[in-house]
Amino acid sequence: MPILEVRDLCARYTRSGPEILKDISFDVEADDFFAIIGPSGAGKSTLIRCINRLVAARSGSITFDGRSVTSLPARELRSLRRDIGMIFQEFNLIDRMSVMDNVLSGRLGYTGNLRTLFRAFPRTDVQRALEMLHRVGLEEHVDKRADELSGGQRQRVGIARALMQGPKLLLLDEPTSALDPKISREVMGLIKNMAQEFAVPCLCNIHDVNLAMEFCNKMIGLQDGVKMFDGPTAEMDQAKLDEIYAMEVL
Amino acid sequence: MLSTLDTDLRRTALSADEVLAIRRRRRWSMLAVVAALTVMVVWSIDVTVIEDTDWERMGSVASVLESAGRFMGVDWALFPDLVKPAIETFMIACLGTLLGVIICIPAAWFGAMNITPFKPLTYPLARLMMTLSRSIHEIVWALFFVAVVGLGAMAGIFALAVRSVGFIAKMSAEAIEDINPGPVEAIRAVGGNGFQVLRYAILPQVLPQILGVIVFEWEINIRRSAILGLVGAGGLGLVFFRQMNTFNFPGVTTVIIAILGIILVGEVVSYFARKAVI
Amino acid sequence: MKAANPVEADRAALPRDLHWQRYKYPESLYSYGAWIVVLSFLAFSVEYLSIPLERIPAMFERMAAVIASRYYPPDIEYVMDRDYLDYVVQTIQMAYLGALFGLLLSVPLGWFGSFNMTPSRRFVYPVARLFTMGFRAVHEMIWAILFVSILGFGMLPGVLALTFFCAGFAGKLFAEEIEAINMGPVEAMRAAGANLFQTMVFGVFPQVRVAFTGIGIYTWDVAFRAATVVGFVGAGGMGWYLKRAVLQIETERVAAIILSIVILVLISEVLSAFARDRVMRMK
Ligand SMILES: Nc1ncnc2c1ncn2[C@@H]1O[C@H](COP(=O)(O)OP(=O)(O)O)[C@@H](O)[C@H]1O
Ligand SMILES: [Mg+2]
Repeated sequence: MPILEVRDLCARYTRSGPEILKDISFDVEADDFFAIIGPSGAGKSTLIRCINRLVAARSGSITFDGRSVTSLPARELRSLRRDIGMIFQEFNLIDRMSVMDNVLSGRLGYTGNLRTLFRAFPRTDVQRALEMLHRVGLEEHVDKRADELSGGQRQRVGIARALMQGPKLLLLDEPTSALDPKISREVMGLIKNMAQEFAVPCLCNIHDVNLAMEFCNKMIGLQDGVKMFDGPTAEMDQAKLDEIYAMEVL
Repeated sequence: MLSTLDTDLRRTALSADEVLAIRRRRRWSMLAVVAALTVMVVWSIDVTVIEDTDWERMGSVASVLESAGRFMGVDWALFPDLVKPAIETFMIACLGTLLGVIICIPAAWFGAMNITPFKPLTYPLARLMMTLSRSIHEIVWALFFVAVVGLGAMAGIFALAVRSVGFIAKMSAEAIEDINPGPVEAIRAVGGNGFQVLRYAILPQVLPQILGVIVFEWEINIRRSAILGLVGAGGLGLVFFRQMNTFNFPGVTTVIIAILGIILVGEVVSYFARKAVI
Repeated sequence: MKAANPVEADRAALPRDLHWQRYKYPESLYSYGAWIVVLSFLAFSVEYLSIPLERIPAMFERMAAVIASRYYPPDIEYVMDRDYLDYVVQTIQMAYLGALFGLLLSVPLGWFGSFNMTPSRRFVYPVARLFTMGFRAVHEMIWAILFVSILGFGMLPGVLALTFFCAGFAGKLFAEEIEAINMGPVEAMRAAGANLFQTMVFGVFPQVRVAFTGIGIYTWDVAFRAATVVGFVGAGGMGWYLKRAVLQIETERVAAIILSIVILVLISEVLSAFARDRVMRMK
């Protein structure tokens, strides 16, 4: 059974606004590194935000791990989000907090309000955070403020935060678009390795097709909210790419 | 104005005559505004200064200078009596600011468009609170609280608190409205609840700004608390009016020096507080 | 930074004893210390001022009762009276003159008190700063009392008090605005051989014009708010009515006067917000 099933998903931001996603369906299996490619403005971010309901879908169904995402009440929605890690294009770290606090914030879904107030996380969480920071190669920067780090380092903090959740799925929204090409490749490699080690499937927006070809095993292509391609990466060819990115050339 | 004229010119390629016509029109409207202002000034001066002043009582320039001269000099003997009121004034300002900050928390929360819990009700409510707080002078607030809680420091603290809520809450709400929404999204995505979003994504972003505003308001509150004695709300103001009523003019000067002294203390403390915040 | 794949490589190197504490030896101690000092000062203040904390809950009830029984309903007729409305007009005039004179005074204060444009950093700058600070530090009510005692009752002391207050208020903001300008045009003017005044008019003024107008409108707001109460000490305007009603314990009239002040301030704020908006768009 696939970990994530998306069926006939439609989404729009305002009631009278344009339809951003039009009848999207796809499945993510437990060992997938799944790419969503497409020109900018195609609706990739919108699609990925529908999965953990940062954006509410208008119609269609999303089933994650046997639970229907679209119809959960608030409390269960939070426990669903706990199981889905997310890594952002702009990192979305808390700039004024330390690297440690940023990584620990991945555990907030498991933390009570009183502990949150005093940032008093259980020992096991701290231990786990240290391990994560060691894995992403930031153990020397534990007490630095997040805004003192370079772009690549900031995204590593983002990765550590997402994995702190112990997620069953990772959502990646163009995780490397704000980084330069060399660092991009490193960060993608790190994500892929960590995902394999923790056996977490990934659903990843990528603007850069070469990276998608290199790291992902399946992909869908979006153009203006419509799914144009769905299949293993190997089946993707130049003609299909040209079609998907046709709008961008104009 | 010159620059807009230039762009007008470039866009429409006017002839020289037309340019001069535009300028003339501008000059006319400018002149009209200046004329209106002048008429108002003259009228106001006539009413407020010339008609309303008791010129006879004021007498000649020499006698005005003489009555100003009474304030020269310092009544050194008064200083020991000023220590306790000065401390009180300072403390009233501190506690007033603290209480103001506490009241501010719901006001800023309700008054920030992006986090207000129930927009049609809480947002206008908070805005009303802010405007009311700022539009009533501290003297009036103090009068009110003296009537409610009686003479003394407590009335002063309440007056300052209520008076400072408006500004602090307004600035805080604006800071909250201006935050980067990225971290909010991130905390929501890890499964955080509303409080956790507030604590982790919003508070760290706005805290330095809000602390700056609080320190700023605290400095103003020191200034304000020095006059609350006028309506019986304790502190240096009371001594000031006693000196005034007993015509001890050097004593008045002494009290003003004491007020400047605690304001200076406030400036020094706020300088270091600001440095610590940043 | 570690290589692209730290996971496998560092598995073995993972330190057994990972350790981290939020408490850091000297730094945390300083910040805890600062908190303790501030909090104990506040607690001491409550003690020193003998604030009856236990009475506070009962006070809210009392507050509601006082408002309901004494201040309600406000005596609206009293503030609709012809004489009172005359005083309202006078208050506006007083605020207008005070703000205007204060602004006129604050322009040189701001110029001389800005570190980058002052004619002399050694002499003029500190003097201008001192005056600005002195004008600001003394509360407008104290200025009003002093002028009343020198010049007698009436609106003249009110206007002067507002003038001093506005000069300090706007002078500081003007100076800050001038200090924030782009020095490029100024240097260009200087290079072209302009004198100090010309540099000011052509290099600085165009840059700060909009901000100054905004500050001017803001100053009017503040002046008007102050003008409604300086009458309390005999310096003209509607504050005098307030004082009289308070002394005579005519609480329903007090309520009506306060209400009229609030409404006037609100109107003035709406108008000045509108004006500020227009000015900003001119930019
Ligand atoms: N918060 C929003 N409100 C309204 N429209 C939005 C919002 N975010 C994105 N859009 C619109 O949705 C479309 C898809 O955006 P997005 O999903 O960000 O595309 P991509 O990530 O593929 O670049 C764009 O046309 C964009 O203008
Ligand atoms: Mg995007």
